[in-house]
Amino acid sequence: MTTTASTSGSTSAPARRRSTGLGVAGWSGRGIAGVVLVVFALFFVVPIVWVLFAVTKTGGELIRQGPFTVGSFGSFAANWDQLFSFQDGAVYTWFGNSVLYALGALVLTLVISIPAGYALALTEFRGRRVLLVLTLVVMLMPSTALVLPVFLEMNALGLVGTALSVILPFSFYPFGVYLAFIYFSTSIPDSLLAAARLDGANELQVFFRVALPLAAPVVALVGFFSFTQNWNNYFLPFVMLPSSDSYPLQVGLSTLLSSTPAFNPSSAGSESVQLPTLALGTVVSVLPILIVFLFSQRFLVEGMTAGGTKE
Amino acid sequence: MKEPMNPSSARRIGRRIGIVGIATAALVATLTGCSKAQGGSSGQYGFDEAQQSKSSTITVWVDATRAPAVKAFEDANPSVKVKTVTYDGSANGSNSFKTKMALFDRSGSGWPDVVFSTQNNDAAWASQKTAGKQPYAAVLDKGLVPSSVLGDFAKGSLDPCTVDGTVYCLRNDLAQNVLWYDKTLLDKFGYSLPKTWEEYQQLSAKVAKDHPGYITGSVGDPWPEIFMWSSKCQANDITGAREVTVNTTSKECTRAAGLIDAGVANKSLSTLSVFSPDFVKKYSGKVLLMPGPAWFAGAIFNNKDSLNLPKGELGVADPLAWNGEQPVTGDVGGGTWFISSHSKNLAAATKFAQYVTTQDGYQVDQAPGYPAYAPAAAKWLAKQASSGYYATSLDPITTAASQVWSGWGYGSFSQEAIWAKVMQPLITSGKPTADGLAAWGTEIKNQAQVNGYTVK
Amino acid sequence: MFIAPYVLFTLAFGLAPAVYALVLAFTDADGAFVGIANFAKVIGDYRFFADVGHVALYLVIWLVSLLVLVVLLALLVHGIRSRRVSAVFRLLYYIPGALAGASSVLLWLFVLDPSASPVAPLLHALGFQSFNQTIAPANLPAIFAIIAFWTGAGGWIVVLFGALNNISVDVMEAARLDGANAVQIATRIQLPLMRKWIAYMSVLSLAAGTQLFVEPTLLSQASNAVVPNDYSLNQLAYQYAFAQNDFNGASAIAVLLLIVSIALSALFVWRGGLFSTEDA
Repeated sequence: MTTTASTSGSTSAPARRRSTGLGVAGWSGRGIAGVVLVVFALFFVVPIVWVLFAVTKTGGELIRQGPFTVGSFGSFAANWDQLFSFQDGAVYTWFGNSVLYALGALVLTLVISIPAGYALALTEFRGRRVLLVLTLVVMLMPSTALVLPVFLEMNALGLVGTALSVILPFSFYPFGVYLAFIYFSTSIPDSLLAAARLDGANELQVFFRVALPLAAPVVALVGFFSFTQNWNNYFLPFVMLPSSDSYPLQVGLSTLLSSTPAFNPSSAGSESVQLPTLALGTVVSVLPILIVFLFSQRFLVEGMTAGGTKE
Repeated sequence: MKEPMNPSSARRIGRRIGIVGIATAALVATLTGCSKAQGGSSGQYGFDEAQQSKSSTITVWVDATRAPAVKAFEDANPSVKVKTVTYDGSANGSNSFKTKMALFDRSGSGWPDVVFSTQNNDAAWASQKTAGKQPYAAVLDKGLVPSSVLGDFAKGSLDPCTVDGTVYCLRNDLAQNVLWYDKTLLDKFGYSLPKTWEEYQQLSAKVAKDHPGYITGSVGDPWPEIFMWSSKCQANDITGAREVTVNTTSKECTRAAGLIDAGVANKSLSTLSVFSPDFVKKYSGKVLLMPGPAWFAGAIFNNKDSLNLPKGELGVADPLAWNGEQPVTGDVGGGTWFISSHSKNLAAATKFAQYVTTQDGYQVDQAPGYPAYAPAAAKWLAKQASSGYYATSLDPITTAASQVWSGWGYGSFSQEAIWAKVMQPLITSGKPTADGLAAWGTEIKNQAQVNGYTVK
Repeated sequence: MFIAPYVLFTLAFGLAPAVYALVLAFTDADGAFVGIANFAKVIGDYRFFADVGHVALYLVIWLVSLLVLVVLLALLVHGIRSRRVSAVFRLLYYIPGALAGASSVLLWLFVLDPSASPVAPLLHALGFQSFNQTIAPANLPAIFAIIAFWTGAGGWIVVLFGALNNISVDVMEAARLDGANAVQIATRIQLPLMRKWIAYMSVLSLAAGTQLFVEPTLLSQASNAVVPNDYSLNQLAYQYAFAQNDFNGASAIAVLLLIVSIALSALFVWRGGLFSTEDA
């Protein structure tokens, strides 16, 4: 299943390609292709590059100066101060909350989905097929459609407003189970487990000594998807956590937005957030994900590819 | 746990699904059987109080503009612990105050002790029971706030807070519209001040022709209150607790729409929000006239981050009248302060709400707008007048306070959100608002009905 | 035992809410069965079909642009000879994926505001002089589609690139020897072999797309409500639940959304031959 990324540099291809060239209409076709590629590269990158410049400017400079000019370190520091002194340091709280929710859900997700994927792939039990089909159905069920009923459920359990009200629903991650299932069913030969069982290992031992050590790739994969998705989730915490103390960053950003005069007239006061500060807030909110992303293109390919296997 | 391979027969799967379904239904059943138990003692102030704790921290929700009010209170009352949370102030009908309180109602805890709202339509819902919980807003006129204090609020200023004769909130400021103008500029151009909307429209046309780039007002913010309310357009005639009469195609409405359309067409009215950086960039020093609320003075003209009009140039005149009619005006906001009926520290919450609405430390020294509390208003005016900032007397502000037209009510839905949705796109794209009046009326009626109003 | 926690969570957060939503959708506030009254109510709501229109238009624009552009870009990137250049392009396309949800919307608020935008000249050229002109209601579906495309397309380009690499070199070579040019190879060989991936992309995008919430919510806040707070169906459900205190109506909307997205997905899944439930 994971052959896609590794074959990207299959040895004989470059030489052959070079000899035949790209048909189309020779240079003009190549030229158009190049232009399209570059235009889209700009489309994807310009906003991000711009925001990195923006955070070094004052509000006035942002409007007056050219978009890709550097402000000053002083302005950056001022923006930083304004951001982190907002509501007596609410941004720290929100950041901490985001980490708590995303990591809490990450751990629970792994504990739940890896063994489940293993069991679905390599053991037999009653209802296995039902559970598999169910997993697929729920996986395609958009999670936000269930936010309101889940809210009522959490409400009935008295958990609304607590960290558990987002961590628990986050931790139900059928896609992770599916990834684990695919991994175990394709990458670990049945015979390996059979051999262990013949040696007298019980089921627990088989899982922990044989399967789990081999599962590092899928653990990383599920972890990556779970973490990025939960970090960026907005709707569920927006509903579950009405008080500012428990917002994750994503929801906190909307508070910052509402304190930005340019986007909310009623906030033309002294505590208001200037545009570059809002831009900095945006950057801070994605920093962890951005870092994870830069090093994990492979995970994405593997995970997405795994979803559609039947090669 | 490992079982012999099971030939996955349809019958078997069917049975499993059945069991899963039953289990789920059971879980749901336990969840739906929700608890209705409610604690609290029946209170002396006309609502059930929570268990009180004199030293507990009070949580206060304000918009960014009102953050200095909290600071002022903390400085004056260091013994009371306050936690500030800024939110959008429910501006432009975002409903965030209402929806968040509904969330707290569901979860049964977490309500902020005091909330500031920029809107005037919150008492209408905050005075009502929701989801089996008592109304969010504490009753204020049954002893919580002394009647002497309530009595000193300007006449009519507590109307948006009053539901069925009971007061549920304190008004922050009056946001009565007046005619702001740049006296220096007006003199330089040699114009005389308009007294009626007709004269205003003529002058605007002249300005557009002779001094392009200068403006006589703005329609870039979704405030039907400035032109429609002042024209007595019957868009928001709340006639009963749950009754509203809407007629947006009357002559009163069409004449105001004509005024807007003419101004947008000849560019004497800006279509940019007065808070946008673009507006400041384009119109600093170029605002000749500006019909708008009392708080424009502090928020726009005398604000270094905004138009920053120099000292001695800003003049204020009486609200404009339509030819042959008595002058009337409208309010743009003029926020309201609510005390939570669920508060665990009603004493501190009440102290806070009273402080920010009545005491000099905020209302006189810092507030950008005209205080609703009459004694503070008098001092505020005196202070503003003595600052030497204004080029004229401030009397028109006082006059305007008593001229707010009462045919525009305070329903539980937001007129600003409706205007923003239906009319603002027309204005922004330069299409005539006159053509949108009927659609505007329909949207108001629809919103009213969704919110449980009978439309007449 | 390995599956016990998962089964528990599936019941608690997958099935129970779905069943609960169904129960609520067919009952009133007091729990009495009311048939399809809630559905009639929400469908009769004057906002309902407006919102359906908004979401549908957004979905169409987004899916079409996703299908056309992602496939095109994947093919083009795959056609780059230098492995390093190709990798750089993929990385550039893929990075915005890190900015999902509120962060990407905030960033785009800046981009769409002509007074601060890095592409202000472009906005001016399109006739947008102010933020409110840019976000005129008619432009919104396209704007949401652009934001979604910006964050999501890169990942799919990378995935399709991987799929293209899976096509055997010999097949391609044979076609070339037969005199097929790049366009012919793309349409006759590469596209058919990518079909499954394209279907897969469509399924996931469709399911996610019907759930439009954070984008209009933030834009509503930022636009002084010119973008109404009930622009999308999910927002309408939220308003029903918390502004009107009508969880039954809200559930009816949620159920409708669920049915539509599952039905659409099912179509793609079972027609596109995706997913295996048996060991591959």
